[in-house]
This record gives sequence, structure tokens and C-alpha cells, in this order.
Amino acid sequence: MPDNVVRNIRHLYTIFTRDAVDCLRVGSPIAGIHDPSHPINSTTHNWQVITTSESLPDPPFPKYLGYLGGVVVPTLCTLINWPLRNHVGPTSILLVYLLGVFLVATRFGRGPSVFTCLMSAMAFAYFFAPPLFSLAIADTENLAGLAVMLLVALVTSKLMDSVRSQAAIATHRERRATVLYGLSCELAQARQEEEIAEIAVRHIQAAFGSPNTLLLPDDQGQLIRPPADSSPKTLVDMDWESAQWTFDQGAAAGKALDTQVESDTMLFPLLGAAGTTGVLVMGHPDPQRRLVSEQRNFLETFLNLIAQSLERVKLAEQARRSSIRVETEALRNALLSAISHDLKTPLTTIVGASGTLAEKDASLEPEDRRVLSRAIQEEAQRMFDLINKILDMARLVAGSLHLDREWSALEEIVAGAMGRLEQSLKNRPVNIQLPDTVPLIHVDAVLIQQVLINLLDNAAKYSPAASPIDISASVTPDALQLSIADHGPGVPPEAADQVFEKFFRLHPESTPGGVGLGLAISRAIIEAHGGLIGVQNRLGGGAIFSLTIPLDEAPPLPAPEEQTGYPA
Amino acid sequence: MTPVEATLLLIEDDPQTRRFLRMTLLAQSWQVIEAESGKLGLDHAKTQNPDLVILDLGLPDMDGVSVVRALRQVSEVPVLILSARSQEKDKIQSLDAGADDYLTKPFGTGELEARIRALLRRTARSGAGRDLFQNGALRVDCLSRKVHLAEREIHLTPIEFRLLSILVRQAGLVVTQKQLLREVWGAAHAEDSHYLRVYMGQLRHKLEADPARPRYLLTELGVGYRLAASEPIADDHPNSRRSGNLTQPV
Repeated sequence: MPDNVVRNIRHLYTIFTRDAVDCLRVGSPIAGIHDPSHPINSTTHNWQVITTSESLPDPPFPKYLGYLGGVVVPTLCTLINWPLRNHVGPTSILLVYLLGVFLVATRFGRGPSVFTCLMSAMAFAYFFAPPLFSLAIADTENLAGLAVMLLVALVTSKLMDSVRSQAAIATHRERRATVLYGLSCELAQARQEEEIAEIAVRHIQAAFGSPNTLLLPDDQGQLIRPPADSSPKTLVDMDWESAQWTFDQGAAAGKALDTQVESDTMLFPLLGAAGTTGVLVMGHPDPQRRLVSEQRNFLETFLNLIAQSLERVKLAEQARRSSIRVETEALRNALLSAISHDLKTPLTTIVGASGTLAEKDASLEPEDRRVLSRAIQEEAQRMFDLINKILDMARLVAGSLHLDREWSALEEIVAGAMGRLEQSLKNRPVNIQLPDTVPLIHVDAVLIQQVLINLLDNAAKYSPAASPIDISASVTPDALQLSIADHGPGVPPEAADQVFEKFFRLHPESTPGGVGLGLAISRAIIEAHGGLIGVQNRLGGGAIFSLTIPLDEAPPLPAPEEQTGYPA
Repeated sequence: MTPVEATLLLIEDDPQTRRFLRMTLLAQSWQVIEAESGKLGLDHAKTQNPDLVILDLGLPDMDGVSVVRALRQVSEVPVLILSARSQEKDKIQSLDAGADDYLTKPFGTGELEARIRALLRRTARSGAGRDLFQNGALRVDCLSRKVHLAEREIHLTPIEFRLLSILVRQAGLVVTQKQLLREVWGAAHAEDSHYLRVYMGQLRHKLEADPARPRYLLTELGVGYRLAASEPIADDHPNSRRSGNLTQPV
């Protein structure tokens, strides 16, 4: 499709340039058109080299037509002039020929116009200039007229050649601009080195018609070798040492180029601001042919664009890594402080109580012994919960959260969470409202249970001792929503997002709190499932934590038993 | 053998854990044979004929799944697995390979004793005893295929009954969902966990007063199901079986 568009634009452009030529024919010379420093001919030539894969637009008329014109036009002029010969002077007759020569000169270039000029001169000399019916010309004025006519033919054809060359150059530049634009557009969207390599290879193949491969370095600056079985053709006769040399030295190599390194393929470094970012390996249809400088420049532009894109991607990756590093660092610090504070407290009790038991066993009353061992048990359990949370968080931050999705029943998950919290929910009414229509959900049940445990545990911690907790679920066609509501102080609206951040605590000094990881872990788990978690305040006080889990289409179930006739 | 005089083989590499377990088990007047490696444990299992094996999954010389497989080749001895939180996969694999139940570390001694008793009881039960199950208001007679909840007969579909009878056979022990799926729907459906969810849901709604807080049909998320068994031996905490199952971390 885009090819068609480009072709159409090119066609329009051709028409346009012809119009420009027509304008020029009326005679308004363009500055710079004769600039001898401009390598018009070589450019036109190179253009043909570059676009070997595509044919040039045809010149307006073939050459032989020009010479045919050189016969036809003077004949026509003669026919026009013949009846006028007794009414006008030879100068006017010469002007008619001049017009003919001019027309041929504008269309067909120098050769045909000079030929037309000579033909016209002969016709004029034979038919009109005395002595009649002889090629001789007696009158000096007529001779001067013929000379002017020749001059006009030469100047006009030269002028028109230039115009045509300029038009060709303009077309050629426009084509290049289009090609480069296409390349840069695609490169701008690429987010990975592999993507860039793929785009680069495709565009270079299209623009230069040569098979090619882009080699990228690993972190140690060694070019990565593709696996032997999938190695592109270009690399078959490539010398890896030369490629590495090109990468290290940042200089092109290849037999077809002026370098010392002998290599059948051509190797170009991709030079970015901070060093070489890769090597382009380019096969050549003709290994002996050298790249013409114009073509080489065009390739350099390609390579620059590609190198810049590679560098951009690399920098973005570095930025991402360093932001992860910063976050990991912050997390590590927070974990360290959490460990040093929150783990030391229970540990102090454990060490103290167990020390007393071990050393002063004989002097302890049975009741004291029971109190001490109970304290050890409780504090150890607290430490265990905390360590689990910290490990969970470390796992989530490391990005290694793996979902073991399975079709699960919400009822079982809620029951599991309730069972795990039997101790902390003792003496507290929990209203569970699950509609019978709740479908199976495709989730990691253990992780979702962990979310419920965290939310229920918070509800129990932050609401008055005997106040009820409500668990309710609702189903929409594409999602399941689960809410856990308490009668505690609620969450200030401005902190509604913050509470899900790592180590955030509403009341850092309050006693029941943990490290501020439970909600962060919950959010990570729910988001990994493609769901949402949020908190609102309920009318009359209290917080409602809601989570939404997208519903997948349920898998087919076995046919109802009554119909299968399953043996009882 | 009665559960009181049983000989237990303890395969655990950590000396501190071994010491604490030995103390706990000896206090229940069980005999304890110790092994600190999988290889040694397998040797003892072959030569000393224990009534139950307690197997730690994190052994230095062999992974737990291999130990269970090797054990199953020579004996049907009940195997109780001790696993750390990071060994979820091994735990389920071991259960599917033939282990009978598991405990996640850290665990309370009450839970440990209850599991051991449930396992020993199952071995000791005679054929008739296996077919009859009673816990609280729930009574299941596998022979007459009758289920009663507080004197009221409950009608189950064939598949529901099939599921329940498998759980009754293993009362008090976990049954992995793969085992249930295989036995009820066949090996081809061993991964179709949604079948199980639907039918267990139906069963729960028929047998449980509050399906979101079940008393009998307990779910072990990610592992399988367990039918809560009544404790015939007097226990300090009448509820400890249930809390034992559910308060341990996953």
C-alpha cells in the first residue's frame, strides 16, 4: 500500500517538474543552475547505482525521437515558410526555423537540437536564402542569423539539460529523504536492540539491495555470534576477527573498501557518541566493486541513524536498570531498618525468656515457666510472620512473582484465609456474603488468599476489638469484586494511594502495626493478576478495601451427572 | 501395634530439629529411629520396619520426592512430610508420589502429634472401620452409601459420593487434587481442577452449615482437600485439629 502512495507521489512530482521545465521554457533562468562545482553528472550516475533494485523513471522522450524531430521540425517550418516567402523577409523566415530549433532544444537536449539547427540551416539555405536551391548563402546577414540560431540551440539545450538534472537530483533527494524518514520513523518506535537490528537490516536491504546483518556486542564488548544453525548467509564467509576489529577500532573494513583488512564482506562500525554500538556486515552483489562515495555517504547516514537508536535504547535500559538499583537500594535500607527494629523486639523477648528458662529453671515457679515459654512461642510466631512478609516483598521486587494460576473457588479462598486467621479473628463477628453465582476464577489461589489474609489482618488490627468485619463479593460480566469492610478509623482520602506503598504506615508509632508491607504485597499480587485494589471510607466510619479481579471465560465442565449415567 | 507403641522413623538432617522432634515424640511414648540422610533413612526403613516415616524434604543427599518414590517401592509405610515454605512444588510432588500428609515448618507439636495419630489410625483401622466415618453431626457409611447430617439423610450425586468416600478413606489426611481427579474422572482429567472445584462446592453446600467456614470439608489451597477427622484421644485443645491445619503458613 505505501509503495503505491510513494509511486503516486513520485508520479505527481514528475508532472510537477515537467511543469517547472515548461515554465523555464518561457525563459526564467534559475540561479545556480549552471553551478559548475555541482557534480550533476556523477550524482545522476550514482543514483542509478544506488537504486539498482528499482528502475529509473524514463526520460521524457527517447533520443531517437529527437533526431526524428530534427528532420520533421525543419520540414514543417519549411512548409510554413514556403507560402510566406514572397511576403516576409529572410529574417522572419529564419525566426520560424529558430522557433522550431528552440522547441526541439527544450525537449531533446543538445545533440538533436544541434542536428535540427543544421537541418534548418540547410533548408533555409536551399529554399530561402539567395542563391535559391543551393546550399550556398550569399548574404552575410543570413549567415549571422544562422549563427544566432545555432547559439540559441546550444544554450537552450544546455539550459534544459541542467533543469532536467536538477529535477532528477531533486527527485533523488526526495526519494532518499523518504527512505530515511521511513527508517527513522520505525527506529523511533523500536524499544529493543533486536527490534532495531531487524528494522536496520530490512531497510538497508531495501535501499542498497545487499544482504546484510547487524552484529551487536555483549556486555563485555564481544560481538554476539548467532547460533550456527540460524546464522544468516551474510555471515558465512565473514571473518569474525575482522568484525571484532571493526568493532574495536570503529573503522570500516572490507576488500571493497580502502582498508588494510581483507574481508570479502564489508564491515561498517555503528559509531555512537559513546563509542561503537555494533557492526553492520554487508554482503555485496559484486565483491570487487567499491562503494561510490555518494552511496557511501548515504549508507553513513543510515548507520548514524541506527547507531543513535541503539544508543538511545541502551541509555533507556541503563536508566531503567539504575532506577531499579536505586529502588532496590532503598528497599534494602528499609528492610534493614525494619529487620533491625521489628525483628529485634521479638528476638529480645525470645533470648531473654529462653535464657531465664535455661539458666534459672530450678528457681522458677511452674506458672512463670509457662508464661515464659508462651512468650517465646508468640514472639517466634511474630518473627516468622514478619520474615515471611519480608521474603514475599523481596520476591516481588526481584520481579520473580510467578503466578500458579488454576481454576479456583472464591469460597475456598475465603475459607482458607478465615482459617489461617482463626486466632486473630477470635471473638469477632465476620459476615461473609458471597453470592451463589460467583463463577470460578483463574488465579493463583494461594496468593489471593495471602491478599485476603493481609486485608483481614489489617481490619482486625485497626478496628475496635469486637466490631464486625464484612466480606462481600459481587459479580459483573467481566470482573469479580471483593470487599472487606471494617469499623475502624478508616483511611484519610489523601493517603488512599500511599497506603499501598512499601513501608508506608499511617501511624508509624502505633503498637499494632507491622512494617508496612502487607498492602504493598497485596497490590503487587492483585496487579499481577491484572486486577485493581483500592480503599474507600464507608459511611458511618471504617475502611472498605476492594479488589477487582478480571473474569476469564470458564472452561467447559463435564456434562451433568444425571445425563452421563455415571455408575453409582 | 497400637498407635501408642508405634515405631517412628525420623529422617531429618538438622540436629536441633531432630532433637526437638525426638523429645516431643518420646513424650508420647513412641519409639524413635533417627536418620540424618535420605540414604540412611531408606536403609532404616528397609531393615527396621517402622510404623511411620517422618521425612524432611530438604535433605542434603537426596530430594524428598526421590526418597518417597524409593520408599514406596519397598513398603506401604505411612509417610509424613515436613516441608519449608519454599518447597511447595516438592511437597505436592511428594504427596502425588505417595506421601500421605505434610506439615509446613514451623509447626506446633500439637499439630505434629495429631497428624501422626491420624496416620497410625488409618493403618490400624480394619476394613469395616474404614467404611464408617463419624465426626460431629456428619456420618458417612461407605458400604450402604448413606450420608447423614444430624440424623437427616443427605442425598449426594454419584460423583459427590465418590469424592466424599475417597476423603473418608483418608480421613484426617490431605488428598491431593490430582489424586481426587484421577480416581473420579480418570488420568486424562488429572489437570482439570475446575471439575473438582465445582463438585467440592456442591458437596460443601450440602454438608456444611456455612460453606465459607467449613467444619468438615477443609481446603488446602494449592494442594488438595482434607476431611476433618474427630480426635478419639482426649486432647488439650478440642479444636486443635482444625486450627492445626489452618494456622500453618502456606
